[in-house]
Amino acid sequence: MNIAKDNSLGGTDVAGLEATARRIRATCVQLAHDGKVGHLGSALSCVDIVLALYHGWLRVTPETADDYHRDRFIFSKGHACTALYAVLVERGFLPVEQLGRYAVRDEPLSDHPCQHALGLLECSSGSLGHGLGIAAGMLYGLGLDRSPARAAVLLSDGECNEGSVWESAMFAAAQKMENLLALVDYNGLQAVGRSDDLMGHTSLEEKFQAFGWGACTIDGNDMGAILKTLKQFPLQPGRPSAIICKTRKGAGVSFMEDKVLWHYRVPSCEDLGSALAELGAKALHMQESDQ
Amino acid sequence: MKLAFVDKLTELAEADPNIMLLTGDLGFQIFDGFIEKHGPRYINVGVAEANMIDTAAGLAHVGRRPVAYSIASFATTRCFEQIKLSVAYAGLPVVIVGAGGGYGYCENGPTHHAGEDLALMCSLPGMTVVAPGDAGEVQQLLSQVMKLSGPAYFRIGRGREPVYHADAPVVLGKARLLQQGERIAVLSTGEIAGQLVEALKICRDQDMSPLAYQYHTVKPFDAETLAHIAERVDAIVTIEEHVPFGGFGAQVACHLSAQSHHPVLKRLSVADEFVLGGPHKDQMRRDYGLDAQGIAETLMALWAAPAAVNTAEGRQ
Repeated sequence: MNIAKDNSLGGTDVAGLEATARRIRATCVQLAHDGKVGHLGSALSCVDIVLALYHGWLRVTPETADDYHRDRFIFSKGHACTALYAVLVERGFLPVEQLGRYAVRDEPLSDHPCQHALGLLECSSGSLGHGLGIAAGMLYGLGLDRSPARAAVLLSDGECNEGSVWESAMFAAAQKMENLLALVDYNGLQAVGRSDDLMGHTSLEEKFQAFGWGACTIDGNDMGAILKTLKQFPLQPGRPSAIICKTRKGAGVSFMEDKVLWHYRVPSCEDLGSALAELGAKALHMQESDQ
Repeated sequence: MKLAFVDKLTELAEADPNIMLLTGDLGFQIFDGFIEKHGPRYINVGVAEANMIDTAAGLAHVGRRPVAYSIASFATTRCFEQIKLSVAYAGLPVVIVGAGGGYGYCENGPTHHAGEDLALMCSLPGMTVVAPGDAGEVQQLLSQVMKLSGPAYFRIGRGREPVYHADAPVVLGKARLLQQGERIAVLSTGEIAGQLVEALKICRDQDMSPLAYQYHTVKPFDAETLAHIAERVDAIVTIEEHVPFGGFGAQVACHLSAQSHHPVLKRLSVADEFVLGGPHKDQMRRDYGLDAQGIAETLMALWAAPAAVNTAEGRQ
């Protein structure tokens, strides 16, 4: 595994990152199978976003993880945390061995991200609609110290059902939080329904714009598109930025894609084998010799 | 209590540059002094209590000491999950200030009543729950609460609460002796202590001297003092402006019930009902026997026959 520690934007190897994304996805499937935990479809949809953030936007490394002026990443859609855990391992924030103890009692990588278990996290998550407000508070406090730190928040589209998201969106715009980036993993499926049906087939991009944000919509499973958009941050000067990332739930594994079943379903041994074969990759913590 | 709170916070903020004040668009003009001295450390988040608490949590994550202020009902029930998860679960030093806690905004109706604030806040692990009785207790307790390493709920009155005197110091986590006495004990929390002090005067005229304490700190509960009281009296009365469940009286009942022998307990509170009709606070207190006269009558009945009182009944 190549653990890059250079977060500079220049010379990013998009094809290399796409290959890494396949290994991250394989890790998510392996963790869901081994840990007997669902939410796999939600993890697979956001892998490219999380990977792109850590390779092309977040100014934080394992060495600066305690630095007051680091960029913060709030993983607000906590149920999809296998994607976060895998990327943290890939970036060298966590030892690879910890992946073998996911969702095991008293171990750092819990079912939903818990800051008491894993101090590296900026905050715990699992209940939706909190991350944007927490990030706004962090940025306000950092701003009083004239810190250059920025914050990225990953939300799910279902999370945008929560009124608190819009309370925070209003606040961040009123405070002109140019250092705030919200990314919505718009995979189109919630726990038991299609998000468009539940949100009245209205535009999330237009909603954020109406709240005073700079906003755009991109293909959230296109690594090149995500990296290119991140380079345009902030989307508008003096405003917080929202990138609506249109993704596929279960992205990368054809029989899981766009299927609400895979919000909760735990992959069987057979599912695991099929998924890994299709991805052409092994989990980060599985040796090639295990194949 | 409101002005005492703001004055003290403004003073504390001069010494501690990390203190922040957030409001959910309430506190008209009372924060002007704070704003003048500490401008950027004051945030009106708007009528958005959920975001107020999440933002306060974010501020605490980066080392600030936020105080989040609103009318008690909006500061607690409206954003309970934010308090539970973003603040209490994270163990962050956020102080939530509920103005008019209990029934301070009585005539405004049930939308503005916070008769369950103590129960809700006490239910959260690690939460310190404080209900001062007058402006003096507000000032002394706020200094102590702002030094805590974890979260706190600070219930204050709506304003113009009577100030009372007691020799005992105001120490967070320790019940405050209001009056030495015998045979029966009476324990209050929050601003109803002012009515209790008046009730004690009525009792004095009747040559009665109950032991009296103000439990300004509801959690952590001062079980040590309660055990000491329980050894000395035949009956205990608790007084609170709260629903009958989960508040101060319930805590006392919990602790007493763990002992094989304990005094008779009578809990005075608002009944298990929404207070309709928009009564003035004084009228509401009379309706539930929480005014000085009502408290005195309860104490006189107990003084006459402490063991005969059925703890299940009440004025409800």
